[in-house]
Amino acid sequence: MIAFDVQLQQGRFLLDVQWQSQARCLGICGPSGSGKSTLLEALAGWRTPRRLSLRLDAFSVPSAEIPPERRELGYVPQDGLLWPHLCVRENLALGCANPELAQRTVAVLGIEALLERMPEQLSGGERQRVSLARAIARQPRALLLDEPLGALDAGLRRRILPYLARVGEEFRIPTLFVSHDPAEVLALCDEVVLFEAGRIVRGGPPAVVLREQDSGLGAFENIFHGEVVQADEGTALLSLAEGGQVSVAARGIQIGERVLFSIRSDEILVALERPTSISARNVLPALVIAVVEDGTAGVRVDARLNEGRGALLSAVLSAAAVRELGLSAGAELFLIFKANSCRLFTSQP
Amino acid sequence: MLEILTTTLLVAGLAGCLAAPLGILLGYWMARSEFPGKSVVETLIALPLTLPPTAIGYLLLVLFSRGGLLGHWSPRFLFTWKAAVLAAAVMAMPLVARTARAAFAEVDPRLELMGRSNGLGPLTVFRRITLPLARHGLLAASLLGFGRAMGEFGATVIVAGIIPGETETISLAIFQEIQLGNSAGALELVAIATLLSFLLVWTTERLLRRKASP
Repeated sequence: MIAFDVQLQQGRFLLDVQWQSQARCLGICGPSGSGKSTLLEALAGWRTPRRLSLRLDAFSVPSAEIPPERRELGYVPQDGLLWPHLCVRENLALGCANPELAQRTVAVLGIEALLERMPEQLSGGERQRVSLARAIARQPRALLLDEPLGALDAGLRRRILPYLARVGEEFRIPTLFVSHDPAEVLALCDEVVLFEAGRIVRGGPPAVVLREQDSGLGAFENIFHGEVVQADEGTALLSLAEGGQVSVAARGIQIGERVLFSIRSDEILVALERPTSISARNVLPALVIAVVEDGTAGVRVDARLNEGRGALLSAVLSAAAVRELGLSAGAELFLIFKANSCRLFTSQP
Repeated sequence: MLEILTTTLLVAGLAGCLAAPLGILLGYWMARSEFPGKSVVETLIALPLTLPPTAIGYLLLVLFSRGGLLGHWSPRFLFTWKAAVLAAAVMAMPLVARTARAAFAEVDPRLELMGRSNGLGPLTVFRRITLPLARHGLLAASLLGFGRAMGEFGATVIVAGIIPGETETISLAIFQEIQLGNSAGALELVAIATLLSFLLVWTTERLLRRKASP
């Protein structure tokens, strides 16, 4: 269980949030400045709120008076914050509560070869893995992850995400995971809350909450599990678990590898007839299941591949485009997107 | 000459040993704490930098003389090497504190908070994270304090006099030689003082340039 109640005034900004969840990994999403990082800093004891309580099963931080060193929380900020005067081994050892756990963490996160390096010699992804290892080696009651992949480029994110997933499976530590990226939240979290101007405006299962148009995140991601069935010249063909096949740009990927695949809803085009001589690698026949209007952000068209029996993809279109095409439930169409627009997260580190 | 050099290094060294820890702690406190009236306290700490050294010397003289606040506690303190050390330490301490404050201010407080979140108490964080990260700046601060103590004249001459072999440091000896009209002797001492100062300033500058690096 993860339950928190925090009220913090910072200048004119008021953070006032309460939530209770049975999730092991709770995602926290929302626009910049909505208070996501402030919440984690308050929980870690880096800021002094007016009101604070955190409950995690049998453990609790009952008030803001508890100093950070007695909160038993593992905090990983966006920049990792490794101590620059200590090598990786020393970073892990300082404050480590359980050397055996530290060794296991090093193995799970694949940082054995980095132990003697100084932080300045690490890449962004390596630094984040070491920071995560340091937080876990403290044997925390909960992990507070503040956009641990936020500072990394897309390629690095793809490589680090599986490590985060492995940490969740291996250590079973309750986790609060702040992220801007719906794909990361869908891949890692059991539940998500949406922040807006210091308040929680919605919460629930990620697949439901992040699909809603006014989630504050703009266009959302279509995310699917799949398996590589063909790989050549920088392109891979994926067979989606829910049915259907898509082409994605990927290098160094093996046939049979299980992956997480995502495509943003605003990067999908729609055509009523199959276009010819087109550069996009994905021209997929689909059946419209629903057309959902939203006054502000456009219209969401939900369509299933494989004649209505396959994976459900959503495209966000303008209201005018939907009108001109005459789209409604039951219509047949083609979903079009580039292999390069897809993102791929491999499940093997 | 050797006696003057030995007295100088002993007095300045001991004064530095007094001023450095106190100045470093004050520097840390100034860099990390916020409270109403902080600027007034900081100004009071820095006062010996701008007050005439003779004024500080006179205050110490009043404090330690018979009938003074501390005179009862240490009746044979004035005009000894101990008084020379104290005067030099009082004059050096503000310089150490201000340089140390700048060194601590360059250490990202979030690195310290990360130490706390990793289960370390405030003292351990100070010892294992803050001090090592500020070490170049703090060493430079201590050297500056030592240099300031070595050149101290005004306060020392008032509370410790010029006693050969006990309180006669190089700056007092130069003054003494000029008073006696011994230009050659004075110039010889000036040359030694210049060499020592050059080495100190050069080392300090190098340390200050490195202080941002881990």
